[in-house]
This record gives sequence, structure tokens and C-alpha cells, in this order.
Amino acid sequence: MNCNNSGKTYMVTLEGTRQMNLDKIIILLKQGKHIREDCVYSLCIQAQELLMNESNVTHVDTPVTICGDIHGQLHDLLTLFEKSGGVEKSRYIFLGDFVDRGFYSLESFLLLLCYKLRYPDRITLIRGNHETRQITKVYGFYDEIMRKYGNSNVWRYCCEVFDYLSLGAIINERVFCIHGGLSPDITTIDEIRSIDRKQEVPHEGAMCDLLWSDPDEVDTWSLSPRGAGFLFGKGEVDQFLQTNNIELIARAHQLVMEGYKEMFDGGLVTVWSAPNYCYRCGNVAAVLTIDGQLERSYTIFDAVQSQNGMGHTIIPTKKPQMDYFL
Amino acid sequence: MQAMDARKVENGVSKVDGIDENEQRASESEVRYGISDTKPKRVKAYILENNEWKDTGTGFCVGKIEMHTEINDDTEMMRAYLIVNDEDSPAEVLLRSQLGGNIEYQRQEETLIVWKDINGRDIALSFEESVGCDTLCEFIVEVQRHVESNISLVAVKSNDNGVGSVHEIITGPVALPSRDIEQNEQTLMESLRILNENIAFEFLKNETVEFVLQTNYINLLIECFHKAESEQLLKELFLLGCIVKTLVLYNQRDILEQMVEDDKIYGIVGMLEYDTEFPTMKANHRKCLESYPPTCKEVVPIDNEDLKLIVKKCFRLSLLKDVVLVRFLDDHNFHLILDIILDLQTCIIGFLQIDSCLDKLLDLYDKKNDKEEGIINKRKDGIKLVHQCVQMSKNLDPIDKSKFYKTLVRKKLFKLLDYAFHVETDSGLRIMATDTIVTIIEHDILLIHNVQNEDYDSQQRNDEPECRKDLICGVKELNSLNDSGARMDMSLLLILSTILLTDKSPGLQEQVAQALHTLLHPDGCLSNGNENENSPIHDETDTSLSNYGLDREELGDENPNGNNGNASYFQIVDYFANFYKQVAPVIFRPLSKAGKSDEAKPIFTYDDNLLIHLVKLVSFICTEHDRRLSREFVLESGLLESVSEFIGPTHSLQLRLTAVRCLKNIMCLDDDYYHRYMISKELYRPIFLLLQENINKDNLANSCIQDFLKIISISCLVNKDEFPLENPSVAYKRTNFILLNKHVVQRYGDVLSEAHDIKFIEDMKKCYEEQITTEKNKWENGEGAAENHGLILVEETRTLRRSSHSASSDSDPEEKERHSFNHQSVRFKKVLEKINTVEPPSAILGELMRE
Repeated sequence: MNCNNSGKTYMVTLEGTRQMNLDKIIILLKQGKHIREDCVYSLCIQAQELLMNESNVTHVDTPVTICGDIHGQLHDLLTLFEKSGGVEKSRYIFLGDFVDRGFYSLESFLLLLCYKLRYPDRITLIRGNHETRQITKVYGFYDEIMRKYGNSNVWRYCCEVFDYLSLGAIINERVFCIHGGLSPDITTIDEIRSIDRKQEVPHEGAMCDLLWSDPDEVDTWSLSPRGAGFLFGKGEVDQFLQTNNIELIARAHQLVMEGYKEMFDGGLVTVWSAPNYCYRCGNVAAVLTIDGQLERSYTIFDAVQSQNGMGHTIIPTKKPQMDYFL
Repeated sequence: MQAMDARKVENGVSKVDGIDENEQRASESEVRYGISDTKPKRVKAYILENNEWKDTGTGFCVGKIEMHTEINDDTEMMRAYLIVNDEDSPAEVLLRSQLGGNIEYQRQEETLIVWKDINGRDIALSFEESVGCDTLCEFIVEVQRHVESNISLVAVKSNDNGVGSVHEIITGPVALPSRDIEQNEQTLMESLRILNENIAFEFLKNETVEFVLQTNYINLLIECFHKAESEQLLKELFLLGCIVKTLVLYNQRDILEQMVEDDKIYGIVGMLEYDTEFPTMKANHRKCLESYPPTCKEVVPIDNEDLKLIVKKCFRLSLLKDVVLVRFLDDHNFHLILDIILDLQTCIIGFLQIDSCLDKLLDLYDKKNDKEEGIINKRKDGIKLVHQCVQMSKNLDPIDKSKFYKTLVRKKLFKLLDYAFHVETDSGLRIMATDTIVTIIEHDILLIHNVQNEDYDSQQRNDEPECRKDLICGVKELNSLNDSGARMDMSLLLILSTILLTDKSPGLQEQVAQALHTLLHPDGCLSNGNENENSPIHDETDTSLSNYGLDREELGDENPNGNNGNASYFQIVDYFANFYKQVAPVIFRPLSKAGKSDEAKPIFTYDDNLLIHLVKLVSFICTEHDRRLSREFVLESGLLESVSEFIGPTHSLQLRLTAVRCLKNIMCLDDDYYHRYMISKELYRPIFLLLQENINKDNLANSCIQDFLKIISISCLVNKDEFPLENPSVAYKRTNFILLNKHVVQRYGDVLSEAHDIKFIEDMKKCYEEQITTEKNKWENGEGAAENHGLILVEETRTLRRSSHSASSDSDPEEKERHSFNHQSVRFKKVLEKINTVEPPSAILGELMRE
């Protein structure tokens, strides 16, 4: 059983790609071009090493722009950066759900990873409920990888990175950022620190709730119709704000036709950053910028038809890239 | 009756048509058109006069067909009437109304028919029974179909909420798109309008679908399209695009299937290149379609034309779904296309099993064909083809899947896999082969085993098939095997293990690791694998702390294959016994300390990536397998000592943390033997060195260790709560976690004191101090309890001593116990069984020791 040949060539190419210029990969990704499997692997390993040093709740300074769900809408993600200053100039927090639904989950996620590697302290990536093996198998990311690569390796590499993503962020100790919402098991933000986050998101418990819960007009913790996480109301939010001495919970996780929605006297905001969600919902998208005085300003943007270098419109598709035998 | 009131009065005298009944002619119409006169049905007839419904009497209503001769040209015409005769004097006609013109008949609720007749009279028939009303409505439908095509019948029903009403067309004239060869902007616009309108009513929709299918309407559109494109008539092109999309929205299987036929597909995707959403550009679907070969790639020739046709259809529908219409389809359309594709796929997979092409394909891997021209590429493509078939089969019904996989295995799929694993060097293809086998075992872990058994039974006396010999030769360990049933399972496990140990492709390693988890999951052996299909690969098992080792009794009880439950049970017992005998020593060799000195095999020759997989596998077998079986192996091979070493600073942080999690998972088992072993061997030490490195840092390593400390402190609290306060010393003595807490605080207290930000440490220390205090008090108070207490302490140290011996000697504590108990009373055996099946709370163990 001699397998060493393939192994050797693999290691060589891996070394090659490690040196490959990140900027070059970023350019390819922006064009939606195919990235080689070994190159994706190398990116994912580097990302793991970087993310391991981050805390479960990352500390971020103002000014910063908070972005909601992206869901594989690469062209809209590019618009987002365009409208909000770009990663070269501004700081960003992404609240998760980079993948699934849209047709460019891989490119969207890798672009964010590349930015993270290239500008580590300008971009914070938080895990969303879609960044799991189980959910991506059903909602498109897995299929996308099978279509683009013919095997699931790249999906595996990415899922491994998902496990290392932070669970939340806190801005100037005053704004708490999370994908879903609160958990009855978490009273203080500090308690989140003792979660060993490197795992598939469990079906219950604190880690699950943080990624799955939704705010609602309820009197107390209530069952979530999603089947995971909880519904929480103004009471829970006020209590959390007071206990942790913060003024705002910024989260994503729910489609908002207007792009954002403040609730509970401004104590919580939902930010949604995938315009015309699923290419058909007709919603606008928003990002929230928090400035040095903790003032909030929203930038609204629409699904704009992106142009490639030749001025041709890119119509998102799911073109298969493999041979067909059957 | 309310609805009738809405009708206005219009004065008009009914013209009584000449009565020209001719029974024979009427039955002619029946023969020719299937319309017959109805049976009489009891009704009340009303006519609207001065805005009030006037009751004209009660009688019997019939629908009647009469033949009339036109005076002008002598042709015969059918005419239809609704006639009501008085019930008391049947000769008297209460109502006679001809069906014709564009009368709209309304059926209101169950028993009422209301209309305005040709002369403008508003008429209502109120039937005694809804069946009567049904009969006359059917008559109206027939007349509309064959005699008076412009009349219509509409059902009016009040809404569920009682507000407003729903109109449903039952029959009537249907506006259909123009079928003129010559079309222009106006006619196309009109067609689009009609198609859009018709889709809203079931009846109109069905009629339209019928029209599209029967009149070859799609071809007409395609002709218009070619003309419009050659003349660059943009507006017409966009209209045609819209028309095709509207036809897709009709969501009719037959229409979709027509669209992908050979003579239509190019026209269809061509028209769809013009999308009004992007009015200034055109897609390139035709180019995309052309970039694929016109038929599928044939690794071995496929003789059956029908199969090729289905394959083509399937591919084109996928193209419509994924590329051409991807942004347009709603859930209904999408699922319909998926359903059609699934049907076609079922058909393809079914066909492959009866055709000879699979045999031919797998024959490619026979040695005798080695010299054949182009064989290498054919063999490569064969791997891809089989992979694609198996991928396709994933969506199929479980029964069909089982059938297909069994056929594959019977037809010697292993020839292909053997080639892929032993000869092929392209890791992409090796991954496909692994994926193929993973899919099959995920579906049914015993399938291969069972097929091999039936194989073995049937040809016991025959020669070993060549392929199997190859497989077996590849793996020395198998030569010692006498058990035929286990052979195939174990050789598969051995092949996968060898790939994991030797192949450097991380993707392949991951996939193989997943395959091993699946193959070695005791639950997988019990179900048919359907439940597990979507479950994520087994990663860190932190989430399943309560998921303890497999209980033997459960195995038998929960077996779903009731009929051969016992057989399966023994198969499974054998299976795992064989795994630990033959495979586990191979796969865990890099971690094993057994039978070699420390320097013999330095660990650093293995890369961390591989070690991560192996450590996860250790965690997996400890937590998921039969405890006795796995523990014996794990402790005797010294695997945990290696795991503990991996926490050391020479390894990647990924591996170090994976190793911490492994120890954490085993700690959570709350197993007396593991606990004492890990404490006595000081396996936890590296964790605290790692904590020292990351002290007061806020990173993943720190969080991981916090979680570890959290589990200890919470478990201590729980244990404290469980026992009555009056007797706290007993509580503190006997639980594993209290013991561990004591060990940790005593040994690593200095590191812990530095970690100011971890609040659990306070709890741990407090717990320790309370324990010390109560112990002390007990000693000082002396008396009866002390004796007892001292005994326990002695036992505790004895156990510890024994654990530390066990790693270097070949017997673990349990082994020793078993030997000694064998010569003792039956009662001891029973207690021992209890320990081995149900995990003993340490109290039982304590009692046992005392006895």
C-alpha cells in the first residue's frame, strides 16, 4: 500500500500556496473565480492558527461597522464594502451566517477569511447558526462545494474553521455583538469565556442559544419556533444590559425588510446585510456603524447588479463544473 | 337564496321553442357525443320579477338534447334545454330554457343553479338534493364541451370565514394563445396575457396545459424565436422569454419534460437567455449547454437507448434547475423538478442493476485487462462513474438504495476499491473511492458484511475470488483469521486504517476518519443508518457527556431487525471483539506504549494532523464503545499516556487542545478505573502546564481549560448536594470528582492561584478545604465512624496503587479482579457483572471492596 507519492506532491504544493500572495487570492475571489483545493486548505489552516488566539468574546474598538447575515451573496458583500468604506480604511464585525442560500458561499467566506488574514485587527468574524456541518449540509454550502469541486474536502476544511470562530464581540465594553441573542444560561458576558467553543454547535445549552435565539414581545424566556434557542423579551434584554453595564445588543439572524430594526427602546438592534435575500425577497440591507461617541448610524444598500471587469453584468448562477457520466 | 336577489329584473317574455322531440335522434347524440338526457330531478323553479324571486312551482327538471334542422341549409343542429315539468300535472311545463349564447350558470352552494337566459330572464333552480344539482351541472358541462362552447358554469361558495365568496370555474370557454405561425409583438403580448390569466383557475389552467401539450405549442414558440432572433426583434424575444417562464410556472411535469426533449431544449434555453430582469443583456445558456457533450460519457458502452435518453433528460433538467432557471424557480417549481429528477434517477439506478454494464465496468479492474489500451484512464473514469452513481443514489428510497448497494457489492465493487486504494495514486480519485464506501456504510453498516456472508455461504467450496485475495494479501494480519464472517469488515477497517496512517492528503484523512467513526459507531450497527444520514461527523464529544458506553442488554433489545435480532447481536459482539483484536492495534500503533521501550518509536515521526484524528478516535472508542472492551485496550496500550504527552508544547495547539478534550471526555465518563489511572499517572499535569502558558490570557486554550475546571467544580458541587449534610465525609470520600479535585488542588494549586480570572478555581479550593476539614473532624471525633472511614482510605490507596501497576504490567485492575473473583462465590460475580454492564456509582464499588 504505497501512498507516499501523492503525499509528497501534496506537501510541495501546499508550501507553494502558503507563499501565494493573499492579495492575489483576494482579487480572484472578488471575481468569483475558482480557488484550488490545496490553496483553500492552506488558507483554512492559517485561519485556524489566527482564530485560536482570539477569545470567545472579542474586544473591538470604535469606530466599527457591524454587518449582519451575508448568506453567500458575494456581489452584495462587495457592495457592502464599497458602501461602507472598505476593509483598508474601516473596522468591521461580521455577525455570522456567511454561507448557505446564496450561490457564492465559498467565495464570500474565503474573502472574509482572506481579509481576516490580511488585516487581522480590522475584521472580526463571529459564528452564525449556519456555520455548522449539519446546517450547511441542508441549506446549500455543502452542495455548492460538491458542485464546484466534485468532493467535499473544501467543505470539511471550512467547517473546521467554523469551529474556531468567535462566539461574540464587545465594542468599547458597551456594545455586545452576537449572532442570535441571549441565553438563560448566560448572565454575564464573562461566563461565555468558559465555553470550549471548538465544537459543532450543540443542540442546546449556552453556545446554541447565543447563535439561535430571537428577541420577541414575550414576558419571559419562551420556546423558539426554530426548535433551537429561545425567544427573549424586553425584560431579559434590560436585565442583561444592566448586569453587564452595556447599552446595546447588536445581532443579526432575522430578515428585516428595512435592513435593520431597533427594539426594546433601542436596547437591541437586528442588522441584516443580505439585500434581496435569496435573490427574491425584495428587502434592502443595512450595516451599523458605531463611532467614537458610541453614536449609531446606519448605511442602507440595495442589491446592485455587479459588473465584472468587462462591464458585463454578473447574473448569479450555480453552473456545475464537473464532468457528467450520468 | 341571497345571491339570487342580486339579479336585476329584466322583462322579457320567454319564447317557447317548438317541441320536436325525437327519441331516436336524441340517442344518436348520445352515441356521437356521449351526452344523454338526464333523469328527472325534483326542483323548485324561480324567476326574478320586479326584483323579487317568484316561485313558479315545484316539478322535475331534466336536461334534454334535441335535434333541429336548420331551415336555410338543411343541416342538423343539436340544441340543449333545461325543462321543468310540474310534479302534479307532468304535462304542464313550468320552465323551458335553452342553453346557449354566453350564459354563465352559477352553482351557488350545494343545491342552487342560477343564470340569466338568452332572453335576459333571471332563473333559479333550487334542487331538493345536492345529487340532483350535480346531475344537472354535469349536463351543463357536457353541453359546454360538445354543443354550446360559449356557455360556462361557475361554482360560487362562501369563504371559510363567511365573508365574501370564492368563484371556481367548472367549465366554460377558454381563451387560448394564438397558434398562428406568424406572430408579432401584439399577438405574443396577448398570448402572455392569456397564459397569465389562465393560470389562476384550475379549470382554465388544465385546459391550457392540454392545449400546450396537444398542439405542440412549444415548437411554435421556438419557430417564432428563431425568426425573431434572426431579425433581432428584441421585444418579441423578451416576450417569448416571459412566455416560457410562465409555462414553467404552470408547474406541469409533462410540459417540463417536453421542454428538455432533443428538438426543444436549445430553443427553450435560448428563449430563456432573454430575461426582462436584465433588459440590456443576454445570458449564454446555449453556449453553456453546448460546452457539455451531447450525450453522457460512456466508460463502458451503454447499449440501451432508453437509458441514454433518461440520462440526458436528467442532466438537462438539472441544468434548468441549477443554471437556467435558478433565480426564477419558486419552491413549488423547484420541488417538482426535483421530483422528476428523482424519478429518473431511480429509473437509472434500477436499470444499472439489470444491465450488464456494471459487470463490464468492474471487469475493467481484472488483472487480465492490464494490457488493454487506455485501460488506466478507463479505470480512473470508472471510479468517477461509480462515485457519481452512488452520490445519485443518496436521494433514493432506502429500499432502492439497499438493493443497489447490494448489487454493487455482489458484482465485486471491491475490485474497484482495491484498485483505488492500492494502485491509484491520484488522491482525488482515492477520495471518491472512500466517499463511495462511506456512503454505503453510512446507509447500512452491516450491508457489506451480510452480502459477503451470503457470498461465502454460496461458494464455500469455490476458489476465493481474486480481488479478495488481493485485499487480504495487502494486510498481513488477516492471514491469521479463521472467521470468515469478520473477514471483509476487518479488511475494510484495516484498509481505511492504513490510508489514515500513510496518506498525507488532509481531505482524504478526514474522510477516512469519518468512515472509521461511522463503521465503529455502535448505533450505526443497530439502525439501517437512515437516521444518521444527516448527522454531522463525530467531532469533539463534549456535547454528549451523558452518552455513556454501550450496554450489552440494550444491544439486543433495541435491534430493529426483529427477525434476526439475535444473529445481529452476536455479529456485533464479534465485530467489536475482532476490531480490538486485529484493527485497533494497527490503527493506534502510533499512540501505543505497549511492548516497547520509550525510545523505540518516537512519536514525532507522525504529523500532528494524523495524531489529531487518532486522539479523536481514542475519545470516541472510550465514550461510545462497550466500556469493558475499550477500557481494557486503551489502558493496556497506554494510549492515554500518549494523549497526555500530546498536550506538551512541542505539538500544534490544535493537537494539544484536542488531547485536552479527549482527557476531558474520558473524565466525564466518571469511570472509577479511568479516574484512578489518570490521577496516579499524573496524566493531567500537562493541562496545567498549558494553563501556565496561557495564564490570564483570553484565548481558546484558556477557554478550553476553563471548561475543564468548570466540569470538575460543578461535578463536586453536584456530588455534595446529592449526599445528606449530616454525613458529608462520606460524600467527599467516595466520588471520583472529589478525588480528582483533591489531586488537582494539591498538585497544581500554585498554577491555579495564579489564574485570578477563573472563578471556578475558588469553588474547587473551597470544596477541597471543606473536605479536609471534615476529614480532620472525623479523625478527631474518632468513634465508630473512624474505623469505617479508615478502611475506605486504605481501599482508596490500594486502588491507586493497583492502577499504577496496571499500565506497566499486562493486567489492568479489572483484569486482576476478575481472576480472583473467578474462584469466589457467585454473588461476587453478580456484583461484578453489575459493574461491567451498568457503570457503578463509586458507592457500589466501595461496598464491593469492603466485602
